[in-house]
Amino acid sequence: MSATSARPSHAAQPSGSAFILKKALISAAVALVLFSLMIGVRTEAGPQGGLIYWTRFGDLAAMVGTVFGGSIIIELLRQWWGPVDKEHIVPKPVQAAMSFAGRWLAPALLVFAFLVPVIFYDQRYILDLSILVLTYVMLGWGLNVVVGLAGLLDLGYVAFYAVGAYSYALLATNFGLSFWVCLPLAGILAAFWGVLLGFPVLRLRGDYLAIVTLAFGEIIRLVIINWQSLTGGPNGVSGIPRPTLFGIPLDNSDDGLAARLGIDFSPTHRIVFLFYLILAMALLTNWVTIRLRRLPIGRAWEALREDEVACRALGINVTTTKLTAFATGAMFGGFAGAFFATRQGFISPESFTFQESALVLAIVVLGGMGSQLGVALAALTMIGGFELFRGFDQYRMLVFGIAMVLLMIWRPRGLIGHRAPTVFLERSQAISSDLVKEGHG
Amino acid sequence: MSAAATTPLLAVRGVRAAYGKIEALKGVDIEINRGEIVALIGANGAGKSTLMMTIFGRPRARAGRIEFDGNDITGVPTHEIARLRIAQSPEGRRIFPRMSVAENLQMGADATECSEAEREAGLDRVFALFPRLKERVAQRGGTLSGGEQQMLAIGRALMSRPRLLMLDEPSLGLAPLIARQIFDAIRTLNRQDGLTVLIVEQNANHALKLAHRGYVMVNGLITLAGTGAELLQRPEIRAAYLEGGRRG
Repeated sequence: MSATSARPSHAAQPSGSAFILKKALISAAVALVLFSLMIGVRTEAGPQGGLIYWTRFGDLAAMVGTVFGGSIIIELLRQWWGPVDKEHIVPKPVQAAMSFAGRWLAPALLVFAFLVPVIFYDQRYILDLSILVLTYVMLGWGLNVVVGLAGLLDLGYVAFYAVGAYSYALLATNFGLSFWVCLPLAGILAAFWGVLLGFPVLRLRGDYLAIVTLAFGEIIRLVIINWQSLTGGPNGVSGIPRPTLFGIPLDNSDDGLAARLGIDFSPTHRIVFLFYLILAMALLTNWVTIRLRRLPIGRAWEALREDEVACRALGINVTTTKLTAFATGAMFGGFAGAFFATRQGFISPESFTFQESALVLAIVVLGGMGSQLGVALAALTMIGGFELFRGFDQYRMLVFGIAMVLLMIWRPRGLIGHRAPTVFLERSQAISSDLVKEGHG
Repeated sequence: MSAAATTPLLAVRGVRAAYGKIEALKGVDIEINRGEIVALIGANGAGKSTLMMTIFGRPRARAGRIEFDGNDITGVPTHEIARLRIAQSPEGRRIFPRMSVAENLQMGADATECSEAEREAGLDRVFALFPRLKERVAQRGGTLSGGEQQMLAIGRALMSRPRLLMLDEPSLGLAPLIARQIFDAIRTLNRQDGLTVLIVEQNANHALKLAHRGYVMVNGLITLAGTGAELLQRPEIRAAYLEGGRRG
């Protein structure tokens, strides 16, 4: 609550070449100290069991040189860009172009998404990839309710994904229930687990909440691994039935969809069906979230993210607000999990590691917390980017890491940090709130 | 005073509250009658804010009784107390910085079920009181100045059409001129609408001039009570809260 505390002034920041060199030298010195033992000296167990070592001063020099050069480049980039939290005066035409792009980006993406199976009908790889991207878009939108709107940092979101996947897999293989019956059940079960997680963490905030949710994700995974009799343990569940088009199977049989329509059977039909299924599910998630944001409950979520004490002072029931956020987010995770299970036909605990939680969280944070379009774009770049850099193999994570650091330096609020208000009293003002600098009241 | 004829709007009787082992309220009695402005003054850590929060149900009172309009509200959860139309503007303003002014105000109305017409009337009332907020209705709360944020915090509390408005340090961190505007607005609310106000202040001079009655709190106990003018004349008050604070 330091509305009056002045931010450090950026105007006083030195910018001469001496400053850049000094900074680069310091970085290089730190790198030298760090890497001299890590890279400069290499030790290994010799043939007789003794320790042998040799020096690699060439590699060390290369690393220190890279750090030196990199520091100069980053500093130059930073000065070229200017301080990160300063408002940049954008030229009028650029502003107009950006607002035009901003207005049409979402509809254009939507139309494109609908046309993907038409355009890429023959390219199985692209269809599979777009299904994967859409799955993460849906997961991102689901987690966005918890993290982006309600501001509850959830590191165990994959638990609900797993609950949804196993709900469908076990209900379908043990009781022969169809996908369309299991889908709502998977959502309800995941929401139930969301509430179960919600109760113990009601009093926690920030880091503490993150740790507990992280543990929750691991608990679910460990239970799945160890409850062999029910879940098959590490072997997973196989033979999960494929989805049907409201009872009509999409296979080569006589009463399959292809035979009924009198067209030649192609395995692509099922892929296209899966594509439209996940697209519909993701859009449903989006629609529900947008609607909820305009209702008191959605506003209460956002208010909770802003200031919990103020929420209490306004008589908002913080308990139910948090629980509904957890339950809603978990429900969408459960839906996505059921889809994952029916698409793969096989699930095992390996699919539900912490890495998945981290990836979905990264999508939400990079996209701009609370921004639906940002999350979709982030999912597209992250999952698509992973595929793009598949050729780089071991450097993939490196590129990913660098991209993330750069993004957080220059767009600390995510790709789309803008938050659209949901209450309008009259026509919008001449001065957009985006142009006004924000203090923290 | 005609307190004998009618029950007071709010009565706090022998209330004790504690944070862990530290007792912040050691048996407090206050009464607020309908249409009154009551000021609660005292030094830092005297328990003023705690008393206000205890009335609002958090922290819970460990002993004693709190009655609102004759009904016991001692153990009632916070969100239900708000539904009885007791509104609170917390210390440090605590507006929602990333939400627009309109959304901040709407949050105040969300707590109590109100019709569209009542919401409109509430907005008109807030904008009549603080025209600045109307100018900035689409702006994000965090972009407002300190005084505007305080206006927003009071406006937000007013949106629930309160029967009792509790203000915690409304002049905190504001320039004297802005603080006077805020106090004027509170006086206007009280005169025009007969709104009952409990105001917690460190600025004893301002608060006692504004209030009909005042209580002085020291170490979790009420040590003095009287009309605002009376208290202002008391030498111990002048020494402790007025001249002492004016040394500069």
